[in-house]
Amino acid sequence: MNELNKKLFIAFLLIFSLGMTALFVLREATESKIQSLNVISNVPNFELTNFNGEIFSDNNLNEKITIISFIFTRCEGACPIMSKNFSILQTRFKNSDLVQFVSITVDPEYDSDSILKSFSNQYSNNDNWYFLRGDILDIITLSENGFFLSASLLPGGHSTRFVLVDQKKQIRKFYEGTVDANVMELQNDIVTLINQS
Amino acid sequence: MKKKLFFQSAVTATILSYLLIFVGGLVRVSGSGMGCPDWPKCFGRWIPPLSVDQIPSYIDPTMFNITLAWIEYGNRMLGVLVGISIIVLNILAIYYFRKHFSLLFSSLLSLVIVIAEGLLGALVVSSVLNPFIVSLHMLLALILVSVLSYICIQSFKLFNAEYFAKVEKNNIISRSLIFFWILIIIEILLGTGIRTNIELIAIDNPLLSKGEQLNALSSYKYLHSLLGFGLLFFSIYINYYLRNNSLLLAKQLGYFILAMVALQIFLGELMVFFDLPQLTRLFHTWGSSWLVGVIIILYNCIKNE
Repeated sequence: MNELNKKLFIAFLLIFSLGMTALFVLREATESKIQSLNVISNVPNFELTNFNGEIFSDNNLNEKITIISFIFTRCEGACPIMSKNFSILQTRFKNSDLVQFVSITVDPEYDSDSILKSFSNQYSNNDNWYFLRGDILDIITLSENGFFLSASLLPGGHSTRFVLVDQKKQIRKFYEGTVDANVMELQNDIVTLINQS
Repeated sequence: MKKKLFFQSAVTATILSYLLIFVGGLVRVSGSGMGCPDWPKCFGRWIPPLSVDQIPSYIDPTMFNITLAWIEYGNRMLGVLVGISIIVLNILAIYYFRKHFSLLFSSLLSLVIVIAEGLLGALVVSSVLNPFIVSLHMLLALILVSVLSYICIQSFKLFNAEYFAKVEKNNIISRSLIFFWILIIIEILLGTGIRTNIELIAIDNPLLSKGEQLNALSSYKYLHSLLGFGLLFFSIYINYYLRNNSLLLAKQLGYFILAMVALQIFLGELMVFFDLPQLTRLFHTWGSSWLVGVIIILYNCIKNE
């Protein structure tokens, strides 16, 4: 083997091993993203009503990919950002009838059906976003025990997290609803769930 | 001796920078860009956490994916290594080549670029991977390897003067190479534009398949292919002019450019017809950075001093 061929051979070997390493890293990255979506737990039974007075229960989560948030309409800090992010996601997934959105008020005494309805008109641009209310004690239990989200000192102390629930009513992951990077991750995870189904 | 030392230092910085472009591409292709949500630390630590318990309370643990964090941090650590290698290069340049204006200036320039590149990396993270900023981050890396390649060949010529003295100067080929380099940059900008727009489309339309995203692009995507074939003929022309060159290195670099352009076209078409596989994307980007540097080396091998 002459000098040039030897160098070319070494270069080829280096690039080949670089490619193999990259392939390994890419596989690990994909794997880790799927693993981060592992099932956390099942959504418990619940029964709330939407602003039309219709019952919305855990059965309405079947066969749908649902993103859940806890908000209240008088809230001026996080809720407008969270609801804006819901609105953005709603627009981006408007062509999928698999995806739905649920916002549960933590201030059901003030947030009457009509107030929730006008809040909905402000943010929602489709009919797949449900605004729910019910007994405040039920809502606290659902938040804390069902979704592992703190619900102390309501309404101000509600969690700002989004919950991703899959088609089998299983909680898959939580996201900080006010952080853009987290919302982007949620978007990618919704795509992953859609593609898996 | 000192010339050789400086040359070796330049080669080290160049090779590390090329590796950095590869790893940076890997970060983009694998979607690990937000692996560390903060900068320059990762989850508030200089060494990324190995478990969720190590994450400070002010950072949301739901962001944590250990694999993605380490991929992203690998890019940063290699970036630091490149920075150090360029600092060494600058120390040598200031020490030995104070009177050699072009070498001193280009070394200092590489230092400025690498610092700017690091800061731009911070912006990439804080913008949550804005496709424009990500692309700018890549383009600046191409400028860095261009400057470093220039330093490599110029310092190599310092202690191989007699080898290059016998080279016949040819203005046509020199001018052609400048033109070729400019076309390559335009080609890269077109390619980057395609990538940037695909990512922008994907953000607003997450449900589109890769093929549909590509179809949603305007017709300038064909310009990228068209110019690619143009570059293939151009590199054949350059090889034709180099065929009688007495400098073996020049001929070899000519072959390399031709082979690389052909490979790039192959990889590019592979991406279009096979739904953009990640590894192809990675090597397509990396190959373009090689072309940028090699043309600069070839130009400086045969130019009129």
